[in-house]
Amino acid sequence: MSARVLPTRPWVRRALLCLLVLVLFAPVFGWASGVVGYAEPLENAAHAAGASGAASAPSGLLSGYGVAGLDGPVGTLAAAALGTLLTLGVALGAGRLLER
Amino acid sequence: MHIPDGFLDPRVAGLFWLGSGVAIGLAVRRARGELGDERTPLLGVVAAGIFAAQMLNWPIPGGTSAHFVGGAFAGILLGPSLGVLAMTAVVTIQAFVFGDGGIVALGANLFAMAVVDVLVGYALFRACRGVHETGAAAIAGWGAITVSALVVGLGVGFSSAFAYAVGTTVPIMVVGHALLGLVEGAITAAVYGYVADARPDLVLGRSADEAAAPEVGA
Repeated sequence: MSARVLPTRPWVRRALLCLLVLVLFAPVFGWASGVVGYAEPLENAAHAAGASGAASAPSGLLSGYGVAGLDGPVGTLAAAALGTLLTLGVALGAGRLLER
Repeated sequence: MHIPDGFLDPRVAGLFWLGSGVAIGLAVRRARGELGDERTPLLGVVAAGIFAAQMLNWPIPGGTSAHFVGGAFAGILLGPSLGVLAMTAVVTIQAFVFGDGGIVALGANLFAMAVVDVLVGYALFRACRGVHETGAAAIAGWGAITVSALVVGLGVGFSSAFAYAVGTTVPIMVVGHALLGLVEGAITAAVYGYVADARPDLVLGRSADEAAAPEVGA
């Protein structure tokens, strides 16, 4: 990534390090939430209102925050890294475009 | 919080698309004057950080789990316009790349997480910061996610898939997220406190950027 797009100021380097730490934590949290069972209030509301079957299967290149062929924590880690980089790139790119 | 396709009636989904389209359009217009070599990298880093933080599902004993949503945090740190843009990037990538939230429902997910969460969080922070700054960040994180949950509860509750059971969906969403929102408020306050200490110049209202961040108007 060029210095023009993302200047290498000290705070930017520290922030990128923080992003790396968050990405490394993703598989750990993925495993831990799987242990207690994952349910959000929206799922509970769907269950209570009988809408459980209405949702279509999720579609997307990296559906369910995993990578095809990479099982478990490795897939989660790869998805977290790819998604974080992609978001950084899209937000930076949009920001730079709007500057003009 | 992410609504999958199939949960919303087309007219409800359309209304959400309209609302988020107008708000994001206004945010884009207002953001042009704010972006530059200081704020644009911050926009990218905050968006990426929120994406990564949303992947961390905090396990809560009793069979539930919550993740940080981050709209209020984005609004507080970046201001309403850039906050809306950061969350728009996150929620859109989640839908198209990760299948988290539907495509038809994307307008609703943007409205809840990229518009309401950001603007309510920003407004609560501005209203309370005079009393206690970190406390205001906590209230903003908690309050904004609870109001966003109300919006989602109303959206699904007025849809046929939920048998128009708005009296069921709203309490479940609001009470559930009011409780889980305590984690959201704590994280918002902790990260805001850290950034405000480490780099007060990056925080909105601690620098000349104040003038570049108009009040909530979208």
